[in-house]
Amino acid sequence: MTTASKDGRWPAGPALEMEGVRKVYEMGDEEVVALDHVTLRVGAEEIVALLGPSGSGKTTLCSIAGGLLTPTAGSVVVGGQDITGYSAKRLATFRQETVGFVFQSVNLVPFLTARENLLVVDQLGRRTGRMARDRADQLLDELGLADRRDNLPSQLSGGQRQRAAIGRALMNEPQLVLFDEPTSALDTELGEQVMELIRSEMTSRGTAAVVVTHDERIVHYTDRTVHIVDGVLHA
Amino acid sequence: MFLALKEMRRSLVRFGLLMASIGLLVFLILFQQTLQSGLITSFVGAIRNQSAPVLVYSVDGRRNLQGSIITPDLQQKIVSVPGVGSAGEIGQGTFSVAAGGRLTSAAIIGYQNAELGSPTTLVRGRLPAADGEVVALASSAGDGFGLGDTVVVQPGGRKLRVVGQATEIGYQASPTLFSTYPTFEQAVRAANPDARTAPPAVIAVSPAPGVTDAELVARINDTVPGADAVTRADAVSSTPGVAQVQQSFRIIFLLFGLVVPLVTGLFFLIVTLQKASSLTLLRALGAPSSALVRSLLFQVALVLVVGIGVGIGLYAPLASQTLGSIPLSFQTGAVVLWSVVLFVLGLASAFVAVRRVLHIDPIEATTGAGLGR
Amino acid sequence: MRIAWLELRRRPSRFVTATAILALLATLLMLLGGLLDGLLSGSTSAVAAQRGDLLVFSSTAEKSFVRSRITPTQRTTVAQVPGVAEVGGIGVAQLAARVPGNGPRDLADVALFGYELAPKAVPPPPGPGEAYADSSLERKGVRDGVTIEVGPARTPIRIVGTVRDLSYSDQGTLWASADTWRTTINANLPEAGVGPGVFQALVVRVDPGADPTSVAARIDRGTAGATESLTVRAAVNAIPGVSQQRATFNQIIGVTVVIAVVVVALFFALLTVERTVLYGVLKALGATSGTLFGGVVLQGVVVTAIASAVGAGIALLLDVVIPPGSIPYTLLPGRVLTSALFLLVAAVFGCVFSLRRVLRIDPASAIGGGQ
Repeated sequence: MTTASKDGRWPAGPALEMEGVRKVYEMGDEEVVALDHVTLRVGAEEIVALLGPSGSGKTTLCSIAGGLLTPTAGSVVVGGQDITGYSAKRLATFRQETVGFVFQSVNLVPFLTARENLLVVDQLGRRTGRMARDRADQLLDELGLADRRDNLPSQLSGGQRQRAAIGRALMNEPQLVLFDEPTSALDTELGEQVMELIRSEMTSRGTAAVVVTHDERIVHYTDRTVHIVDGVLHA
Repeated sequence: MFLALKEMRRSLVRFGLLMASIGLLVFLILFQQTLQSGLITSFVGAIRNQSAPVLVYSVDGRRNLQGSIITPDLQQKIVSVPGVGSAGEIGQGTFSVAAGGRLTSAAIIGYQNAELGSPTTLVRGRLPAADGEVVALASSAGDGFGLGDTVVVQPGGRKLRVVGQATEIGYQASPTLFSTYPTFEQAVRAANPDARTAPPAVIAVSPAPGVTDAELVARINDTVPGADAVTRADAVSSTPGVAQVQQSFRIIFLLFGLVVPLVTGLFFLIVTLQKASSLTLLRALGAPSSALVRSLLFQVALVLVVGIGVGIGLYAPLASQTLGSIPLSFQTGAVVLWSVVLFVLGLASAFVAVRRVLHIDPIEATTGAGLGR
Repeated sequence: MRIAWLELRRRPSRFVTATAILALLATLLMLLGGLLDGLLSGSTSAVAAQRGDLLVFSSTAEKSFVRSRITPTQRTTVAQVPGVAEVGGIGVAQLAARVPGNGPRDLADVALFGYELAPKAVPPPPGPGEAYADSSLERKGVRDGVTIEVGPARTPIRIVGTVRDLSYSDQGTLWASADTWRTTINANLPEAGVGPGVFQALVVRVDPGADPTSVAARIDRGTAGATESLTVRAAVNAIPGVSQQRATFNQIIGVTVVIAVVVVALFFALLTVERTVLYGVLKALGATSGTLFGGVVLQGVVVTAIASAVGAGIALLLDVVIPPGSIPYTLLPGRVLTSALFLLVAAVFGCVFSLRRVLRIDPASAIGGGQ
């Protein structure tokens, strides 16, 4: 199927294709296999939950998908781009332009306002200036943070901070957004609100997402669940 | 101590930079001390290291050999003061001298009486026994004033032969030669044939038995209005220019001395704040405050000892060099004094960090309140 | 870069330590420079102020006024050398002066100059028995209208005006006509006496466009090697003690700059440690090490600029507060600028120490809790 994605920006091939990805760490004389022949495909508009206990390798998988780590073996293609052999510098550019991140805890720069936090990626990369500022204001509006845009993170609630982080992840109109434990710091009600927001934002823009989590309760907000244990994927 | 050392090993760059800062500062302070002393010595070493205990200038001389002239009349009055044991003339002039193939300036100091005005720091050769022989400043040996060299006063062509070398007898930062008084007179006339006389600049005196130097000085000044008598030590410190150099350096020492405890204290405060969470954890696990404080002070002491050691290590080889015409020497007294002072100040500067350690409440390990400031 | 700038503005307390210590070092640098300039000025300002291109001494004098003699015949020869526009005689006598009202041992050290061509900010030579006095002598009571007695012969000289910042060998100067000077020196320093028309040195102005060094060589040839002509600057450097003082202080200043490098390196290294997590996140978002390091350098430069301004302020304050003549201290604008510049360069070098750590920060550390 080769239709264009909803926002027309990217060709509608899969957002993420990982084939036979292995990640091996050398600790002294021992080898630690964090990921063992992982193959994963995420569609252009799919939201996939990656479920597993701590130490299962889900963080490693997420990092490789986002271009934060290079695999020991296998290939990684994000939005049609094969990033397997990219240098650190090219990966940095790739992350600026193609992926969005929402981290578990430290997301926002503590001394920047919500709005400035959204503008960080633009300043690191393309510097579109006016365009970026308009987009930031629009996103903040959609996320219900319009009246909080000049507040520092310390002045925002947990939920508001999470929403600002989502806004930042969407600023560069990414192919793929990676969520690392988005609800672990929130109570049940707030967690559900955030997951609803994630779902609506991703589907309305037609953006693919991978949600890494150990929380079974939120998987019904995603299209598909993939389990990972000891570095091996189970459907 | 185990944890303290482990931590330092882990953050070697940071602690290394701190020790380097302290080392450089200590080096600079000691180096300046030596420079100051060397600079002053090159100007007034000749006065400090000559044998006369009391020097009598003319009041107009302003305690400067160059400006002081003793007329025969004044000389007579000075030697007649009761309490004067023996007296001798000292004359000084600065001349153009051909040495080592070049024309250069040299100061010539002529003394009448070897007990009153000859150099006391002879290291090679001997004192002049006849006219035309001189003792030269040891550090000017390389410029043609070495043992056995002959130098020529210009104009006039009066030859002088170096028969001895003495250290730290410089005058006005020039190569300096000590000679007999007649040699000095001959140099004056050779350089300026119109000169009618070569009057002494100073009458050197030593007190009669039972009279102290200070008493003699007072008596001469009270009795002879045109005379300005001083002890040797006072002559050194009141030579024009010396006091100013010392004052300038004093300010510099003070400020540099302050930088050491400031840098040390702030460093340890910042580091303590940065590891507040680890410290809170240790307290929660049962470590007493005193252990943490001891660990901190151990680090401070180690850093200071190594830093000061590095500073002394940088200073030692340099302290035996000659900077241009200024000879330097290793000043043990200054090294000991500054080491102690800076160590104490550095330790005291850690006070704020210690207070912070004592304020840690172990309960914060559970609430997370103490984490990350 | 903008992020680095915003961090400075929003989190100034983080940078206070480094700024404070750098300000202290800036003050030290400027203080050292001011003391050096003060010492040098005290020794040389009278000569440096000569409004001429060359000074001519006799060749055996080793550039010393006191040992130099220029006869009227030699002066005529010099005046006729091509390239020489104007010639004026000059000489100095260092004596002690008695001031009415001061005790019998409380004399003022003066350097009495006899001159023809007036130096900067000095009027033309006054009448016989008169002189202008440098303001630094006012502390000793030597001021306009007072008659002082100079030297052992107590030659009377009446002060008829004041000049500023003219010292020679740490002594305040008096400026008198050539005749007054000759009379005084012959009466008080007979073995340094000068005949009629004789000077110790000549101040020479060259024709516009002429090269002073070549004219100097021509003069010395013209007098068959009896003279040594040099630029005013070279004459200044030859005054005893000048080169030693300069060497001493420049060494100290040099080491201080090195200390500044290490101190900046130290405190910025500490800062970088605090920002590891932040840098991890920024790298994950696509910041390169280069961008982050550029931010560090920017902060280093701003912090140093502020520290230099504070240091300059303190140094200027000292200049105002220190009474003239007590400690040799002169704060020149050039000195303030070079000190600030040295500090800035030191700061940039110091920041380089943080580069390794910035390079080593792994963007993957942002995922997984940022511990």
